[in-house]
Amino acid sequence: MNPWTHGQRGARVGSWLLWVPALLFALPLIGSLLLGLAGAMDGPAWRLLLADSQLWPGLGLSLWVGSASVMLSLLVTLWLVAHLHGTALWRRVQRALGALLALPHAAFAVGLSLLLMPSGLPVRVLALVSGWSSPPDVASVQDRFGLALIAGLVLKEVPFLLWNVVALSQRAGHAAQLERQLQIGASLGYAASSMWWRVLWPQLLPHLALPLLAVWAYSLTVVDMALVLGPTRPPTLAVLAWGWLLDADALVNRQGASAALLLTVLTFGGALMATALWRVSRPAWLRRSVLGDRAPLRGPSAAARWLVKVAAGVYAAVLALLVFTSFVGVWSFPSLWPQLWSGEAWSAVSHSVPTVRLTALLALSSASSGLVVAVVWLENTPARWDARAAPWVFAPMLVPGVLLVAGLYRLTLWLGIDGRFAGLWLAHGLFTAPYALVALAPAYRGFDIRYQQTAHALGRTHAAFLWRIKWPMLFAPIAAAFAVAFAVSVTQYLSTQFVGAGRYATLTTEALTLASGGQRSAVAAFALLQALLPALVFAAALWVGRRQARRSGELHA
Amino acid sequence: MLELSGIHIEAAGRVLVQNLSARVAPGEVLALMGDSGSGKTSLLAYLCGTLAPGLTGRGDVRLFGLPIQTLPTARRRVGILFQDDLLFPHLSVQDNLLFALPAAPGVSRGQRLLKAHAALAEAGLEGYGERLPHTLSGGQRARVSVLRALLAEPRAVLLDEPFSRLDAALRGRFRAFVFEHIRAQAIPAVLVTHDPQDVPAGARCIQLTPEAEHA
Repeated sequence: MNPWTHGQRGARVGSWLLWVPALLFALPLIGSLLLGLAGAMDGPAWRLLLADSQLWPGLGLSLWVGSASVMLSLLVTLWLVAHLHGTALWRRVQRALGALLALPHAAFAVGLSLLLMPSGLPVRVLALVSGWSSPPDVASVQDRFGLALIAGLVLKEVPFLLWNVVALSQRAGHAAQLERQLQIGASLGYAASSMWWRVLWPQLLPHLALPLLAVWAYSLTVVDMALVLGPTRPPTLAVLAWGWLLDADALVNRQGASAALLLTVLTFGGALMATALWRVSRPAWLRRSVLGDRAPLRGPSAAARWLVKVAAGVYAAVLALLVFTSFVGVWSFPSLWPQLWSGEAWSAVSHSVPTVRLTALLALSSASSGLVVAVVWLENTPARWDARAAPWVFAPMLVPGVLLVAGLYRLTLWLGIDGRFAGLWLAHGLFTAPYALVALAPAYRGFDIRYQQTAHALGRTHAAFLWRIKWPMLFAPIAAAFAVAFAVSVTQYLSTQFVGAGRYATLTTEALTLASGGQRSAVAAFALLQALLPALVFAAALWVGRRQARRSGELHA
Repeated sequence: MLELSGIHIEAAGRVLVQNLSARVAPGEVLALMGDSGSGKTSLLAYLCGTLAPGLTGRGDVRLFGLPIQTLPTARRRVGILFQDDLLFPHLSVQDNLLFALPAAPGVSRGQRLLKAHAALAEAGLEGYGERLPHTLSGGQRARVSVLRALLAEPRAVLLDEPFSRLDAALRGRFRAFVFEHIRAQAIPAVLVTHDPQDVPAGARCIQLTPEAEHA
């Protein structure tokens, strides 16, 4: 079929060698999953788990936080898009999504806790009116019902879902179809928001299944955000499992592994239930949507605009508070302004150059290897294989972190690289590779095959085509994928702590370790740095991508 | 009666439609002819209120005496048919029709369904109600899209080259189907096309050229 195959022969002879990176990703992943599962199959550990008085409250809390977060995130997403799509504000929201996604969960959680805590700035403002002389005795962070955690999760997951909606609606062919359907709806007398609820969401929701599963899995099993924002007595099941895994007692460790397996079962069981619920409720939704009643036409929703502005204010306040708090020395309640400023936190940071260096080194090496895996996969497989690889690609995002790192640790033990840099690199690579692949795939798969045919017809080798034509042309998306992988590595908490056996400190582990102590300014400084490092790499990727595009005239066209 | 007076549309300084005035009586078809880029689709967009950003238009559009040029699309009661049928792919044929059929107090789902089925039967599509659009032929889908547009009880209808995607054999029959329904509903219609054969006998015809126009 392809008249140019002879030109690719050189590549094909060696191509089995190119599979090595893909196997280097898949084998440790499979190994970790199997070892994680095997570690959780232990009778005495299960009996211990089932007898633990914290199990059921922790389990109930996890289910509540997970389901409330995913449902609230979904509803807010659907509602915002229905009411804002096509407005100038929506275009601004779209532009802001990238930055919101790049903000690490842990840093955001720390900032949000500074905002919400009883001695936080908003409460101090309230105290002006109420005359409180000490912080109110209310757990506004780490509250019993997990409300602060849910708020943090929703604020982080709505941008992720919105980003997925944008990606979906910009997919080839979809954008024009959406516009046309909205036009048809308007000519039939329907308001745009009615069209979203009645016609567009029923079509688009099935395409959001995977992102929703990711949000559900994350909300149900998150540890780092829960350590900062979540309840403590009892904590969520994921935090319990994490604590047991870190315990010195081997039996308690296995109890933690059992709890991790339980979380895995809940994750996928919940997904099955949601699918069933969708199947059952879809006919009723469609029936409701063809009743023929036209809602009165209103202008763009003021409530949606208001919500976007409040959320934007929260994100800005979180970042501002991180900066502000990192310089606070003494700040007694209820003063609105610190009595004493201090550079102590930043001088502590300046003494932890090794931490920054390790974080950067680990991120550079694991992002590079992750990118190589992604490129090798995309270069050597047809696009239709992506669907087959999907379960493996998404496994690190969907399998609870506590289960995966437990298996990963046993794998590094077996390989003799536990507590070593190589072990950390392997662990981070399991997460950077799939994210790099997901980030790069659309651009890479969309590359026009005719460039390859042209290069080969000109008698150039495949290697020359890759190095001189294809990769330079794809430079911007490759740089972006690298930045995503870099950020993923920087923000790794469970794997760094567990596989590194607590011997390696990164910005993320430092921030979370300090978060349990009282040193607010130091926590803020480390959290800020944790957010800053990936942001710098994102900015650099954007800059080099732009420069490349400008050089090849794309921006002038 | 659809009355256009002094319609003027331009894009970045380029005049697409200049001072166009016309009257279209109920049941009558006004045909706008012109090559691509002559502004005929922009004129339809102006009439239904979906002018693309970057285009500006002015001029009066009155529908049975009511000025509609400042109303949002959903309030104009102007139906539109595109080249593609644009049936909602996830809804059955009858649900596509029910979506268009306005609710009225005291009218049950059963009664509305009867009305949708009657429309289908009359269009030679009896028994197709439960099917999904993609299982129908192109000609059948085109007819359903006409029924859908008209069941919404529009007071005027715009046709944006609705025949150009169909093959020659279907085209003639579908054309007759469309114009027959427009006459039966007694509403004014505006057709844009570049094919003189699409223009029904007795229709008024305006040739659009980008520079200047007259009624």
